[in-house]
Amino acid sequence: MTTTLELSPRVVEINAAAEPAEQKSIEINNVTVSFKTPTGVYTAVKEISLEVKKGEIIALIGHSGCGKSTLMGTISGMVQPTSGEVKANGNVVTKPGPDRGIVFQNYSLLPWLSVYSNIYEAVDAALKDKTAAEKKALVEKNLKMVNLWSHKDKLPGQLSGGMKQRVAIARAFAINPSILLLDEPFGALDALTKSNMHVELLKLWNLDNREKTIVIVTHDVEEAIFLSDRVVVMNNGPAATIKEIVDVPLPRPRNKKEIVHDECYMAIHDKLLSLLIDKFSINDIH
Amino acid sequence: MKKIFSVNTLLSALYFIGGLALMGGIWELIAAITKHEIPTPAMTWDVFKEVMQNPMQNDPDYKGIGVKLLSSLSRVGIGFGFGSLIAIPIGLIMGSSKITMNIINPMVQILRPVSPLAWFPLGLAIFQDSPQASIFMIFICSLWPTLINTAFGVSHIPQDHKNVGKAFGFSRWKYITKIVLPYTFPHILTGLRLSIGVAWMVIVAGEMLSGGMGLGYFVWEEGFNGGSVAKILVAIIIIGIVGLLLDRIFMTLQKRFSFAG
Repeated sequence: MTTTLELSPRVVEINAAAEPAEQKSIEINNVTVSFKTPTGVYTAVKEISLEVKKGEIIALIGHSGCGKSTLMGTISGMVQPTSGEVKANGNVVTKPGPDRGIVFQNYSLLPWLSVYSNIYEAVDAALKDKTAAEKKALVEKNLKMVNLWSHKDKLPGQLSGGMKQRVAIARAFAINPSILLLDEPFGALDALTKSNMHVELLKLWNLDNREKTIVIVTHDVEEAIFLSDRVVVMNNGPAATIKEIVDVPLPRPRNKKEIVHDECYMAIHDKLLSLLIDKFSINDIH
Repeated sequence: MKKIFSVNTLLSALYFIGGLALMGGIWELIAAITKHEIPTPAMTWDVFKEVMQNPMQNDPDYKGIGVKLLSSLSRVGIGFGFGSLIAIPIGLIMGSSKITMNIINPMVQILRPVSPLAWFPLGLAIFQDSPQASIFMIFICSLWPTLINTAFGVSHIPQDHKNVGKAFGFSRWKYITKIVLPYTFPHILTGLRLSIGVAWMVIVAGEMLSGGMGLGYFVWEEGFNGGSVAKILVAIIIIGIVGLLLDRIFMTLQKRFSFAG
Protein backbone atom coordinates (compact mmCIF):
# COMPACT_ATOMS: atom_id res chain seq x y z
CA MET A 1 0.00 0.00 0.00
CA THR A 2 2.66 2.45 1.00
CA THR A 3 4.64 1.85 -2.21
CA THR A 4 2.13 3.95 -4.10
CA LEU A 5 3.02 6.89 -1.91
CA GLU A 6 6.36 7.31 -3.65
CA LEU A 7 6.42 10.34 -5.87
CA SER A 8 6.71 9.72 -9.57
CA PRO A 9 10.28 9.81 -10.86
CA ARG A 10 9.38 12.71 -13.16
CA VAL A 11 8.86 15.11 -10.24
CA VAL A 12 12.26 14.23 -8.94
CA GLU A 13 13.88 14.75 -12.30
CA ILE A 14 12.48 18.28 -12.40
CA ASN A 15 13.81 18.92 -8.90
CA ALA A 16 17.17 17.49 -9.85
CA ALA A 17 17.36 19.68 -12.94
CA ALA A 18 16.90 22.76 -10.77
CA GLU A 19 19.95 21.83 -8.71
CA PRO A 20 23.26 23.48 -9.62
CA ALA A 21 25.09 20.63 -11.35
CA GLU A 22 25.73 17.51 -9.26
CA GLN A 23 26.40 18.20 -5.63
CA LYS A 24 28.81 16.07 -3.72
CA SER A 25 27.29 15.02 -0.44
CA ILE A 26 30.02 12.79 0.93
CA GLU A 27 33.64 12.59 -0.14
CA ILE A 28 35.82 9.88 1.31
CA ASN A 29 39.45 10.51 0.36
CA ASN A 30 42.01 7.79 0.89
CA VAL A 31 40.74 6.86 4.32
CA THR A 32 42.56 4.35 6.52
CA VAL A 33 41.37 3.43 10.00
CA SER A 34 43.63 1.54 12.40
CA PHE A 35 43.01 0.64 16.01
CA LYS A 36 45.54 -0.10 18.70
CA THR A 37 44.77 -3.46 20.25
CA PRO A 38 46.63 -5.40 22.94
CA THR A 39 48.02 -7.66 20.19
CA GLY A 40 49.17 -4.82 17.93
CA VAL A 41 47.77 -2.37 15.41
CA TYR A 42 44.65 -3.58 13.62
CA THR A 43 43.81 -1.91 10.33
CA ALA A 44 40.08 -2.12 9.70
CA VAL A 45 39.80 -0.29 6.40
CA LYS A 46 42.64 0.75 4.11
CA GLU A 47 42.93 3.63 1.65
CA ILE A 48 39.29 3.83 0.71
CA SER A 49 37.99 6.56 -1.57
CA LEU A 50 34.33 7.04 -2.44
CA GLU A 51 32.07 9.88 -3.52
CA VAL A 52 28.36 10.02 -2.89
CA LYS A 53 26.06 12.47 -4.67
CA LYS A 54 23.37 14.46 -2.93
CA GLY A 55 20.14 12.50 -2.74
CA GLU A 56 21.84 9.24 -3.60
CA ILE A 57 21.20 6.06 -1.66
CA ILE A 58 24.18 3.77 -1.38
CA ALA A 59 24.57 0.46 0.40
CA LEU A 60 27.82 -0.74 1.95
CA ILE A 61 27.77 -4.49 1.87
CA GLY A 62 30.23 -7.12 2.98
CA HIS A 63 30.83 -9.92 5.43
CA SER A 64 30.69 -9.37 9.16
CA GLY A 65 33.80 -7.62 10.41
CA CYS A 66 34.79 -6.31 6.98
CA GLY A 67 34.97 -2.76 8.26
CA LYS A 68 31.80 -1.42 6.68
CA SER A 69 30.55 -0.08 10.01
CA THR A 70 33.97 1.47 10.61
CA LEU A 71 33.84 3.21 7.25
CA MET A 72 30.33 4.45 8.10
CA GLY A 73 31.71 5.67 11.42
CA THR A 74 34.17 7.93 9.63
CA ILE A 75 31.26 9.62 7.85
CA SER A 76 29.22 10.03 11.02
CA GLY A 77 32.26 11.30 12.94
CA MET A 78 32.04 8.55 15.54
CA VAL A 79 35.33 7.12 14.22
CA GLN A 80 38.38 9.22 13.33
CA PRO A 81 40.36 8.17 10.25
CA THR A 82 44.00 7.37 10.97
CA SER A 83 44.87 8.91 7.61
CA GLY A 84 42.90 10.51 4.81
CA GLU A 85 39.80 12.61 5.31
CA VAL A 86 36.04 12.53 4.97
CA LYS A 87 34.02 15.55 3.85
CA ALA A 88 30.32 15.85 4.44
CA ASN A 89 28.60 18.69 2.56
CA GLY A 90 32.04 20.07 1.80
CA ASN A 91 33.23 20.21 5.42
CA VAL A 92 35.87 17.91 6.85
CA VAL A 93 34.26 15.58 9.38
CA THR A 94 35.82 15.77 12.84
CA LYS A 95 32.84 14.84 15.00
CA PRO A 96 29.13 13.99 14.71
CA GLY A 97 26.95 16.88 13.65
CA PRO A 98 23.31 17.72 12.98
CA ASP A 99 23.86 17.52 9.20
CA ARG A 100 24.27 13.75 9.62
CA GLY A 101 21.56 11.65 11.26
CA ILE A 102 22.51 8.24 12.56
CA VAL A 103 20.36 5.15 13.00
CA PHE A 104 22.16 2.51 15.02
CA GLN A 105 21.96 -1.23 14.70
CA ASN A 106 20.59 -1.76 18.23
CA TYR A 107 18.07 1.10 18.04
CA SER A 108 20.04 2.85 20.80
CA LEU A 109 17.00 4.31 22.49
CA LEU A 110 17.39 5.36 26.11
CA PRO A 111 15.25 2.86 28.03
CA TRP A 112 14.30 5.29 30.82
CA LEU A 113 12.90 7.92 28.45
CA SER A 114 9.53 7.77 26.72
CA VAL A 115 9.37 7.51 22.94
CA TYR A 116 8.61 11.23 22.86
CA SER A 117 11.47 12.22 25.16
CA ASN A 118 13.93 10.03 23.29
CA ILE A 119 13.32 12.11 20.19
CA TYR A 120 12.91 15.41 22.02
CA GLU A 121 16.24 15.15 23.85
CA ALA A 122 18.04 14.40 20.58
CA VAL A 123 16.36 17.33 18.82
CA ASP A 124 17.02 19.57 21.81
CA ALA A 125 20.71 18.68 21.80
CA ALA A 126 21.25 18.80 18.03
CA LEU A 127 19.19 21.87 17.14
CA LYS A 128 20.15 24.35 19.82
CA ASP A 129 18.93 27.44 17.93
CA LYS A 130 15.33 26.36 17.71
CA THR A 131 12.70 27.40 20.27
CA ALA A 132 11.04 24.84 22.51
CA ALA A 133 7.83 25.11 20.48
CA GLU A 134 9.67 24.46 17.22
CA LYS A 135 11.42 21.46 18.72
CA LYS A 136 8.15 20.04 20.01
CA ALA A 137 6.57 20.51 16.60
CA LEU A 138 9.46 18.60 15.00
CA VAL A 139 9.05 15.71 17.41
CA GLU A 140 5.33 15.55 16.78
CA LYS A 141 5.71 15.75 12.99
CA ASN A 142 8.28 12.98 12.86
CA LEU A 143 6.50 10.67 15.29
CA LYS A 144 3.32 11.03 13.24
CA MET A 145 5.32 10.35 10.10
CA VAL A 146 6.27 6.89 11.40
CA ASN A 147 2.76 6.35 12.81
CA LEU A 148 3.89 6.20 16.41
CA TRP A 149 2.25 9.34 17.80
CA SER A 150 -0.24 7.24 19.79
CA HIS A 151 2.68 5.43 21.40
CA LYS A 152 4.55 8.59 22.37
CA ASP A 153 4.29 8.03 26.12
CA LYS A 154 5.48 4.43 26.09
CA LEU A 155 8.93 3.36 27.12
CA PRO A 156 11.09 1.66 24.47
CA GLY A 157 10.83 -1.61 26.43
CA GLN A 158 7.10 -1.69 25.69
CA LEU A 159 7.61 -1.56 21.92
CA SER A 160 8.32 -4.28 19.35
CA GLY A 161 11.65 -4.31 17.49
CA GLY A 162 10.13 -2.76 14.38
CA MET A 163 8.50 0.04 16.38
CA LYS A 164 11.77 0.75 18.19
CA GLN A 165 13.57 1.06 14.89
CA ARG A 166 10.85 3.42 13.62
CA VAL A 167 11.44 5.58 16.68
CA ALA A 168 15.16 5.56 15.92
CA ILE A 169 14.46 6.51 12.31
CA ALA A 170 12.06 9.27 13.40
CA ARG A 171 14.77 10.54 15.75
CA ALA A 172 17.31 10.66 12.92
CA PHE A 173 14.84 12.41 10.58
CA ALA A 174 13.75 14.85 13.29
CA ILE A 175 17.04 16.71 13.24
CA ASN A 176 16.49 17.03 9.46
CA PRO A 177 19.97 15.94 8.40
CA SER A 178 21.03 16.16 4.78
CA ILE A 179 22.80 12.83 5.21
CA LEU A 180 21.23 9.81 6.83
CA LEU A 181 23.50 7.02 8.02
CA LEU A 182 21.95 3.66 8.81
CA ASP A 183 24.15 0.99 10.37
CA GLU A 184 22.55 -2.42 9.78
CA PRO A 185 19.27 -0.83 10.82
CA PHE A 186 17.00 -3.77 10.09
CA GLY A 187 19.37 -6.61 10.96
CA ALA A 188 17.47 -7.61 14.10
CA LEU A 189 14.01 -7.56 12.51
CA ASP A 190 12.03 -10.46 11.08
CA ALA A 191 11.72 -10.66 7.29
CA LEU A 192 8.16 -9.27 7.11
CA THR A 193 8.82 -6.30 9.37
CA LYS A 194 12.02 -5.68 7.47
CA SER A 195 10.19 -5.47 4.13
CA ASN A 196 7.72 -2.99 5.57
CA MET A 197 10.55 -0.90 6.97
CA HIS A 198 12.26 -0.74 3.57
CA VAL A 199 9.13 0.66 1.99
CA GLU A 200 8.59 3.06 4.88
CA LEU A 201 12.14 4.32 4.66
CA LEU A 202 11.76 5.04 0.94
CA LYS A 203 8.44 6.75 1.66
CA LEU A 204 10.12 9.10 4.13
CA TRP A 205 12.90 9.76 1.63
CA ASN A 206 10.28 10.56 -1.02
CA LEU A 207 8.31 12.87 1.27
CA ASP A 208 11.52 14.82 1.60
CA ASN A 209 11.80 15.18 -2.21
CA ARG A 210 14.60 12.62 -2.34
CA GLU A 211 17.02 15.25 -1.15
CA LYS A 212 18.59 13.27 1.66
CA THR A 213 21.67 11.24 0.96
CA ILE A 214 21.37 7.82 2.57
CA VAL A 215 24.19 5.43 3.35
CA ILE A 216 23.08 2.05 4.61
CA VAL A 217 25.36 -0.63 5.98
CA THR A 218 23.95 -4.09 5.48
CA HIS A 219 24.79 -7.69 4.78
CA ASP A 220 21.45 -8.33 3.14
CA VAL A 221 21.72 -8.44 -0.66
CA GLU A 222 17.98 -7.97 -1.36
CA GLU A 223 17.84 -5.03 1.02
CA ALA A 224 20.84 -3.41 -0.63
CA ILE A 225 19.38 -3.71 -4.14
CA PHE A 226 15.85 -2.65 -3.24
CA LEU A 227 16.96 0.50 -1.46
CA SER A 228 20.03 1.79 -3.21
CA ASP A 229 21.32 3.44 -6.36
CA ARG A 230 24.76 1.90 -5.94
CA VAL A 231 25.96 -1.05 -3.93
CA VAL A 232 29.50 -0.81 -2.59
CA VAL A 233 30.87 -4.30 -2.05
CA MET A 234 33.72 -4.52 0.41
CA ASN A 235 36.51 -7.06 0.70
CA ASN A 236 36.94 -9.03 3.85
CA GLY A 237 38.98 -7.33 6.54
CA PRO A 238 41.44 -6.73 7.99
CA ALA A 239 42.60 -3.80 5.85
CA ALA A 240 39.36 -3.96 3.88
CA THR A 241 39.06 -2.12 0.60
CA ILE A 242 36.26 -1.63 -1.91
CA LYS A 243 35.98 -4.75 -4.05
CA GLU A 244 33.53 -3.39 -6.54
CA ILE A 245 30.78 -0.81 -6.91
CA VAL A 246 27.64 -2.18 -8.57
CA ASP A 247 25.12 0.27 -10.07
CA VAL A 248 21.44 -0.40 -9.51
CA PRO A 249 19.70 1.35 -12.41
CA LEU A 250 16.23 0.13 -11.43
CA PRO A 251 13.56 2.83 -11.82
CA ARG A 252 11.82 4.26 -8.77
CA PRO A 253 9.36 3.92 -7.19
CA ARG A 254 10.33 0.31 -6.78
CA ASN A 255 7.79 -2.33 -5.93
CA LYS A 256 8.90 -5.03 -3.51
CA LYS A 257 6.85 -7.73 -5.17
CA GLU A 258 7.50 -6.92 -8.81
CA ILE A 259 11.14 -6.02 -8.57
CA VAL A 260 12.25 -9.57 -7.84
CA HIS A 261 11.06 -10.70 -11.29
CA ASP A 262 12.91 -7.90 -13.05
CA GLU A 263 15.76 -9.21 -15.16
CA CYS A 264 18.03 -6.37 -14.24
CA TYR A 265 17.32 -7.04 -10.54
CA MET A 266 18.14 -10.71 -10.98
CA ALA A 267 21.37 -9.94 -12.78
CA ILE A 268 22.47 -7.57 -10.01
CA HIS A 269 21.43 -10.09 -7.40
CA ASP A 270 23.53 -12.81 -9.06
CA LYS A 271 26.48 -10.52 -9.41
CA LEU A 272 26.39 -9.48 -5.78
CA LEU A 273 26.07 -13.06 -4.61
CA SER A 274 29.09 -14.03 -6.73
CA LEU A 275 31.07 -11.18 -5.26
CA LEU A 276 30.15 -12.12 -1.70
CA ILE A 277 29.91 -15.88 -1.73
CA ASP A 278 32.29 -18.38 -3.23
CA LYS A 279 30.52 -21.57 -2.22
CA PHE A 280 26.98 -22.03 -3.51
CA SER A 281 26.38 -25.70 -2.91
CA ILE A 282 27.84 -28.61 -1.02
CA ASN A 283 29.54 -29.55 -4.31
CA ASP A 284 31.65 -26.42 -4.00
CA ILE A 285 33.14 -27.49 -0.69
CA HIS A 286 36.37 -29.31 -1.21
CA MET B 1 -10.06 -8.59 41.42
CA LYS B 2 -6.55 -9.28 42.53
CA LYS B 3 -6.07 -12.42 44.50
CA ILE B 4 -4.60 -11.67 47.90
CA PHE B 5 -3.95 -15.23 48.97
CA SER B 6 -2.55 -17.30 46.16
CA VAL B 7 -1.21 -20.78 46.82
CA ASN B 8 2.32 -19.41 46.63
CA THR B 9 1.87 -16.72 49.26
CA LEU B 10 0.17 -19.24 51.49
CA LEU B 11 3.05 -21.66 51.05
CA SER B 12 5.71 -19.06 51.75
CA ALA B 13 3.77 -17.96 54.84
CA LEU B 14 3.78 -21.57 56.02
CA TYR B 15 7.52 -21.86 55.39
CA PHE B 16 8.08 -18.62 57.30
CA ILE B 17 6.12 -19.91 60.30
CA GLY B 18 7.95 -23.23 60.04
CA GLY B 19 11.28 -21.40 60.08
CA LEU B 20 10.26 -19.40 63.13
CA ALA B 21 9.13 -22.56 64.90
CA LEU B 22 12.43 -24.26 64.10
CA MET B 23 14.35 -21.29 65.47
CA GLY B 24 12.16 -21.26 68.61
CA GLY B 25 12.80 -24.97 69.07
CA ILE B 26 16.57 -24.56 68.85
CA TRP B 27 16.32 -21.61 71.23
CA GLU B 28 14.32 -23.68 73.77
CA LEU B 29 16.92 -26.43 73.47
CA ILE B 30 19.82 -24.07 74.10
CA ALA B 31 17.93 -22.55 77.08
CA ALA B 32 17.41 -26.04 78.51
CA ILE B 33 21.05 -27.08 77.96
CA THR B 34 22.39 -23.89 79.59
CA LYS B 35 19.97 -24.39 82.50
CA HIS B 36 18.25 -21.08 81.67
CA GLU B 37 21.52 -19.13 81.67
CA ILE B 38 20.16 -18.24 78.24
CA PRO B 39 16.48 -17.45 78.91
CA THR B 40 13.70 -19.29 77.09
CA PRO B 41 11.65 -17.54 74.40
CA ALA B 42 8.79 -17.18 76.88
CA MET B 43 11.02 -15.56 79.51
CA THR B 44 12.45 -13.25 76.83
CA TRP B 45 8.92 -12.35 75.71
CA ASP B 46 8.08 -11.28 79.29
CA VAL B 47 11.16 -9.05 79.38
CA PHE B 48 10.28 -7.76 75.93
CA LYS B 49 6.83 -6.67 77.17
CA GLU B 50 8.44 -5.04 80.18
CA VAL B 51 10.93 -3.16 77.97
CA MET B 52 8.13 -2.07 75.67
CA GLN B 53 6.23 -0.36 78.49
CA ASN B 54 6.49 3.39 78.10
CA PRO B 55 8.85 3.15 75.12
CA MET B 56 8.77 6.90 74.60
CA GLN B 57 9.46 7.84 78.23
CA ASN B 58 12.20 10.45 78.10
CA ASP B 59 13.30 11.41 81.62
CA PRO B 60 16.85 12.43 82.47
CA ASP B 61 17.34 9.24 84.46
CA TYR B 62 15.38 6.83 82.25
CA LYS B 63 14.95 6.74 78.51
CA GLY B 64 12.50 4.26 76.97
CA ILE B 65 13.53 1.80 74.28
CA GLY B 66 11.75 3.84 71.59
CA VAL B 67 13.73 6.96 72.49
CA LYS B 68 16.94 4.93 72.38
CA LEU B 69 15.97 3.44 69.02
CA LEU B 70 15.22 6.86 67.57
CA SER B 71 18.51 8.28 68.80
CA SER B 72 20.34 5.35 67.16
CA LEU B 73 18.38 5.83 63.96
CA SER B 74 19.06 9.56 63.86
CA ARG B 75 22.78 8.95 64.22
CA VAL B 76 22.67 6.34 61.49
CA GLY B 77 20.69 8.77 59.35
CA ILE B 78 23.21 11.57 59.77
CA GLY B 79 26.29 9.39 59.21
CA PHE B 80 24.73 7.52 56.32
CA GLY B 81 23.35 10.74 54.80
CA PHE B 82 26.68 12.56 54.82
CA GLY B 83 28.43 9.39 53.66
CA SER B 84 26.10 9.06 50.68
CA LEU B 85 26.39 12.76 49.80
CA ILE B 86 30.14 12.27 49.52
CA ALA B 87 30.13 8.74 48.09
CA ILE B 88 27.78 9.33 45.12
CA PRO B 89 29.69 12.25 43.53
CA ILE B 90 33.07 10.59 44.15
CA GLY B 91 31.70 7.35 42.71
CA LEU B 92 30.44 9.23 39.64
CA ILE B 93 33.87 10.81 39.13
CA MET B 94 35.70 7.55 39.83
CA GLY B 95 33.66 5.58 37.31
CA SER B 96 33.73 8.21 34.59
CA SER B 97 37.21 7.38 33.28
CA LYS B 98 40.00 4.85 33.57
CA ILE B 99 42.31 7.56 34.90
CA THR B 100 40.08 8.61 37.80
CA MET B 101 39.40 4.94 38.50
CA ASN B 102 43.14 4.29 38.77
CA ILE B 103 43.64 7.33 41.01
CA ILE B 104 40.79 6.75 43.44
CA ASN B 105 40.49 2.97 43.49
CA PRO B 106 43.69 2.19 45.45
CA MET B 107 42.63 4.53 48.26
CA VAL B 108 39.21 2.90 48.39
CA GLN B 109 40.69 -0.58 48.42
CA ILE B 110 43.01 0.30 51.30
CA LEU B 111 40.46 2.12 53.45
CA ARG B 112 37.45 -0.11 52.81
CA PRO B 113 38.55 -3.21 54.76
CA VAL B 114 39.50 -1.19 57.87
CA SER B 115 37.46 -2.28 60.88
CA PRO B 116 34.79 0.23 61.97
CA LEU B 117 36.28 0.14 65.48
CA ALA B 118 39.60 1.51 64.20
CA TRP B 119 37.88 4.67 62.96
CA PHE B 120 36.33 5.45 66.35
CA PRO B 121 39.43 6.79 68.12
CA LEU B 122 40.25 8.85 65.02
CA GLY B 123 36.78 10.39 65.17
CA LEU B 124 37.22 11.00 68.87
CA ALA B 125 40.54 12.75 68.21
CA ILE B 126 38.98 14.92 65.51
CA PHE B 127 35.70 15.84 67.22
CA GLN B 128 36.59 15.46 70.91
CA ASP B 129 33.04 14.17 71.35
CA SER B 130 31.98 10.54 71.53
CA PRO B 131 28.49 10.77 69.91
CA GLN B 132 30.06 12.65 67.02
CA ALA B 133 32.82 10.07 66.86
CA SER B 134 30.24 7.31 66.42
CA ILE B 135 28.55 9.31 63.64
CA PHE B 136 31.97 9.71 62.02
CA MET B 137 32.44 5.95 62.25
CA ILE B 138 29.12 5.33 60.47
CA PHE B 139 29.97 7.98 57.89
CA ILE B 140 33.27 6.33 56.97
CA CYS B 141 31.95 2.79 56.97
CA SER B 142 28.82 3.53 54.93
CA LEU B 143 30.79 5.31 52.21
CA TRP B 144 32.28 2.32 50.48
CA PRO B 145 29.40 0.22 49.16
CA THR B 146 27.70 3.30 47.67
CA LEU B 147 30.95 4.61 46.22
CA ILE B 148 31.94 1.30 44.66
CA ASN B 149 28.49 0.57 43.24
CA THR B 150 28.11 4.07 41.81
CA ALA B 151 31.54 3.83 40.18
CA PHE B 152 30.67 0.38 38.81
CA GLY B 153 27.42 1.71 37.34
CA VAL B 154 29.06 4.68 35.64
CA SER B 155 31.89 2.62 34.22
CA HIS B 156 29.46 0.11 32.73
CA ILE B 157 27.24 2.49 30.76
CA PRO B 158 26.63 0.60 27.49
CA GLN B 159 28.34 1.98 24.40
CA ASP B 160 24.91 2.25 22.75
CA HIS B 161 23.81 4.84 25.29
CA LYS B 162 27.08 6.74 25.00
CA ASN B 163 26.69 6.73 21.22
CA VAL B 164 23.32 8.47 21.49
CA GLY B 165 24.95 11.30 23.43
CA LYS B 166 27.80 11.52 20.98
CA ALA B 167 25.73 11.25 17.80
CA PHE B 168 23.26 13.96 18.75
CA GLY B 169 25.80 16.21 20.44
CA PHE B 170 24.44 16.06 24.00
CA SER B 171 25.89 18.76 26.22
CA ARG B 172 27.85 17.64 29.27
CA TRP B 173 24.85 18.48 31.48
CA LYS B 174 22.38 16.60 29.28
CA TYR B 175 24.73 13.63 29.12
CA ILE B 176 24.94 13.47 32.91
CA THR B 177 21.24 14.02 33.61
CA LYS B 178 19.76 12.00 30.75
CA ILE B 179 22.25 9.16 30.40
CA VAL B 180 24.71 8.80 33.30
CA LEU B 181 22.36 9.33 36.24
CA PRO B 182 19.36 7.34 34.96
CA TYR B 183 21.62 4.42 34.04
CA THR B 184 23.54 4.58 37.32
CA PHE B 185 20.55 5.17 39.59
CA PRO B 186 19.70 1.48 40.20
CA HIS B 187 23.38 0.84 40.98
CA ILE B 188 23.41 3.77 43.40
CA LEU B 189 20.34 2.34 45.12
CA THR B 190 22.03 -1.04 45.45
CA GLY B 191 25.00 0.73 47.02
CA LEU B 192 22.76 2.67 49.38
CA ARG B 193 21.01 -0.53 50.41
CA LEU B 194 24.30 -2.20 51.27
CA SER B 195 25.51 0.98 52.99
CA ILE B 196 22.48 1.36 55.23
CA GLY B 197 23.01 -2.26 56.29
CA VAL B 198 26.62 -1.53 57.19
CA ALA B 199 25.64 1.68 58.99
CA TRP B 200 23.06 -0.14 61.06
CA MET B 201 25.57 -2.85 61.90
CA VAL B 202 28.19 -0.30 62.95
CA ILE B 203 25.93 1.83 65.16
CA VAL B 204 25.72 -0.75 67.96
CA ALA B 205 29.50 -0.98 68.17
CA GLY B 206 29.76 2.79 68.05
CA GLU B 207 27.29 3.31 70.83
CA MET B 208 28.93 0.67 72.99
CA LEU B 209 32.17 2.60 72.68
CA SER B 210 30.67 6.07 73.07
CA GLY B 211 28.19 5.12 75.80
CA GLY B 212 25.28 7.21 77.00
CA MET B 213 22.61 6.73 74.37
CA GLY B 214 21.09 4.40 71.86
CA LEU B 215 20.55 0.69 71.39
CA GLY B 216 24.23 -0.14 71.69
CA TYR B 217 24.32 1.42 75.10
CA PHE B 218 21.13 -0.46 76.02
CA VAL B 219 22.73 -3.78 75.12
CA TRP B 220 25.85 -3.01 77.10
CA GLU B 221 24.54 -1.16 80.13
CA GLU B 222 21.10 -2.61 80.82
CA GLY B 223 21.81 -6.00 79.27
CA PHE B 224 25.33 -7.04 80.13
CA ASN B 225 26.12 -4.78 83.11
CA GLY B 226 22.54 -5.14 84.36
CA GLY B 227 22.95 -8.90 84.28
CA SER B 228 19.93 -9.49 82.02
CA VAL B 229 20.66 -11.81 79.13
CA ALA B 230 16.99 -11.50 78.18
CA LYS B 231 17.47 -7.77 77.58
CA ILE B 232 20.44 -8.52 75.33
CA LEU B 233 18.24 -10.92 73.36
CA VAL B 234 15.43 -8.36 73.19
CA ALA B 235 17.88 -5.77 71.88
CA ILE B 236 19.22 -8.23 69.28
CA ILE B 237 15.70 -8.93 68.06
CA ILE B 238 14.84 -5.23 67.84
CA ILE B 239 18.10 -4.46 66.05
CA GLY B 240 17.47 -7.32 63.64
CA ILE B 241 13.90 -6.29 62.84
CA VAL B 242 14.79 -2.61 62.34
CA GLY B 243 17.70 -3.66 60.11
CA LEU B 244 15.33 -5.81 58.07
CA LEU B 245 12.88 -2.91 57.71
CA LEU B 246 15.62 -0.54 56.55
CA ASP B 247 16.72 -3.12 54.00
CA ARG B 248 13.15 -3.57 52.76
CA ILE B 249 12.72 0.17 52.25
CA PHE B 250 15.73 0.28 49.93
CA MET B 251 14.71 -2.96 48.26
CA THR B 252 11.34 -1.43 47.43
CA LEU B 253 13.08 1.64 45.99
CA GLN B 254 15.36 -0.62 43.97
CA LYS B 255 12.40 -2.46 42.46
CA ARG B 256 10.60 0.80 41.78
CA PHE B 257 13.52 2.28 39.85
CA SER B 258 14.83 -0.71 37.97
CA PHE B 259 14.07 -0.59 34.27
CA ALA B 260 14.03 -3.27 31.64
CA GLY B 261 16.97 -2.59 29.32
